[in-house]
Amino acid sequence: MTSLSSAVALPSSCRARPAGGSRRARMVVTRAAASSPKLPNGRRLRVAVVGGGPAGGAAAEALAKGGVETVLIERKMDNCKPCGGAIPLCMVSEFDLPLDLVDRKVRKMKMISPSNVAVDIGRTLAPHEYIGMVRREVLDAYLRSRAQSAGAEVVNGLFLRYEAPKEPNGSYVVHYNHYDSSSSNGKIGGEKRSFEVDAIVGADGANSRVAKDMGAGDYEYAIAFQERVKIPDDRMVYYEERAEMYVGDDVSPDFYGWVFPKCDHVAVGTGTVTHKADIKKFQAATRLRAKDKIEGGKIIRVEAHPIPEHPRPKRVFGRVTLVGDAAGYVTKCSGEGIYFAAKSGRMCAEAIVAGSANGTRMVEESDLRKYLAEFDRLYWPTYKVLDILQKVFYRSNAAREAFVEMCADDYVQKMTFDSYLYKRVVPGNPLDDIKLAVNTIGSLVRATALRREMEKVTL
Amino acid sequence: MAMATSTFSPRPATLNKPLRAGIQLHLIPFPHLRAGRLVCATAAGEAPPVEVEQRDEAEPAPAAASNGAAVKAEAPAAKTEPPPAPAPVPAFRDDRWVNGTWDLTKFDKGGVVDWDAVIDAEARRRKWLEDYPEATNTDEAVVFDTSIIPWWAWMKRFHLPEAEKLNGRAAMVGFFMAYFVDSLTGVGLVDQMGNFFCKTLLFVAVAGVLLIRKNEDIESLKKLIDETTFYDKQWQATWQDDSTAGPKN
Repeated sequence: MTSLSSAVALPSSCRARPAGGSRRARMVVTRAAASSPKLPNGRRLRVAVVGGGPAGGAAAEALAKGGVETVLIERKMDNCKPCGGAIPLCMVSEFDLPLDLVDRKVRKMKMISPSNVAVDIGRTLAPHEYIGMVRREVLDAYLRSRAQSAGAEVVNGLFLRYEAPKEPNGSYVVHYNHYDSSSSNGKIGGEKRSFEVDAIVGADGANSRVAKDMGAGDYEYAIAFQERVKIPDDRMVYYEERAEMYVGDDVSPDFYGWVFPKCDHVAVGTGTVTHKADIKKFQAATRLRAKDKIEGGKIIRVEAHPIPEHPRPKRVFGRVTLVGDAAGYVTKCSGEGIYFAAKSGRMCAEAIVAGSANGTRMVEESDLRKYLAEFDRLYWPTYKVLDILQKVFYRSNAAREAFVEMCADDYVQKMTFDSYLYKRVVPGNPLDDIKLAVNTIGSLVRATALRREMEKVTL
Repeated sequence: MAMATSTFSPRPATLNKPLRAGIQLHLIPFPHLRAGRLVCATAAGEAPPVEVEQRDEAEPAPAAASNGAAVKAEAPAAKTEPPPAPAPVPAFRDDRWVNGTWDLTKFDKGGVVDWDAVIDAEARRRKWLEDYPEATNTDEAVVFDTSIIPWWAWMKRFHLPEAEKLNGRAAMVGFFMAYFVDSLTGVGLVDQMGNFFCKTLLFVAVAGVLLIRKNEDIESLKKLIDETTFYDKQWQATWQDDSTAGPKN
């Protein structure tokens, strides 16, 4: 034990460490779980992480590092997720992502109103600040490989269902379709297998089966529809460091259309919650608005996916819990989910590790609830602020015009980027806040007044 | 109100290639457009519309060529829609709209800027773009900001008429309520204002007039209150039904 030798080597002015130094430190951490029974035969806690996206990968890595026996089940190892692919700066540092994972660093964003008023935001960014654009298949594979090196077992298979334990401290039985390791493309018709675990982390995304099995309830969701368009190189220069956001009733009644640069193509897409049947119409309108800039482009892929709008009614049940999109941790207004998925996966894993005393004791539902409490406490302000922004500024074309007008303001840009890049809701200077409030109300009033005039106009 | 000298410049039928299905989906049916053109042609006394259209005919030709390129690329991707008949796509044009903003010198009215006309022009532009969304143009970016119009122009135009209406209503109702209470109780106006109950009623009346101006406002206020707390309830849901004691207080 290193603490013994260090206690001897340190001068007497330092705090004296008793012989059982590291054991005592561990006891402080695990006071909460001292009541849960130690695992029989000195075996380690076993946890199944269902789903190998950012949430699953981060959870499996943190679990494995904490000494828990982890199995990560992923059905498609090279899954190319339909996703904006934007990650904030804090994710790169918090998860130690290598910089070559980031395909593009977006430093400029263009917000475009329904009447094509275009505002550039990003002036206030420091040179080292950017929004990272990643390819999901690359990011997900990297996080899974890190989990594997930390000691997690990565299994290619499709989760089918789980069985709850018969007695209070019994095991869960996970049933899945095991795919042959030689064919890694999610071929149907694997062999049915099952194994026993003590806890399950559901990280299997918006259509989570774990959530269904545990009766977590449903959430409202948006449909995000995206086309990957390969545009000629000279047009790609415009999107070198720039992403675009289009707002308007033509593009989406309650979301926005986007053009995001990827490694060598752009992703043009839009989304909606309330008018899902019209998604193709909205996509056509988005393409029209960006027409001049994506001209000559070839559509190389069309993809669509549901995006949760709010957390599921139940996020934990017994020793089964949800993280990431499966739990519904996607913000409103911007629809951001990658960072919160990875962070929630990690926080859940850390709660399990702490609650199980590094894998030596059984966990309980209360340990999992600790992760929920911590996550809610840390990020509730962010979610609430984005919800308010969505409610205020995505209501109507008039509100969207006001929104784009507000984005031209330097203070707004600084606040927005600070809260996005570092996931902190920073209260700024009160005088500036009052000025901002006055300007916001002014913009909204003007836009609404113009709206009333617009209704009188006959073209 | 003087009609703006803006003209419609529909891209003519040189666009025989099948248009992208997307453009058709949000086109307004033609009768509306033609009626508008008639109105404009008769009202626009100054710049002859013919001249402007000729100038604009040259424009769509290069656009058509590049339009075609995009169409070819997307034809294999388009699944269901058969190519509908090609139709002109109108673009917004106005003499006073220069370089993506309103040229205020064109709104001169006896030495000062005619802000009412600017507001009208902007409303028209927004309505146009709402009905006929256009592709954004990086060379001619729209940079107009409504805050350039001074606050008193907005006040005069929008706030004051409504304020006059509401104050008038409040005054009428107030007069008759004061008379009514006086006739019933014998308490004069000055003594009425001294009473706490009357002061409360007055406060409620003022708040009511401000918040509820139409019958629909009552419903929308109730919905607003529900809306502000709905998201919170969705987040709290996981803590509501726990029979096992959770750590969250």
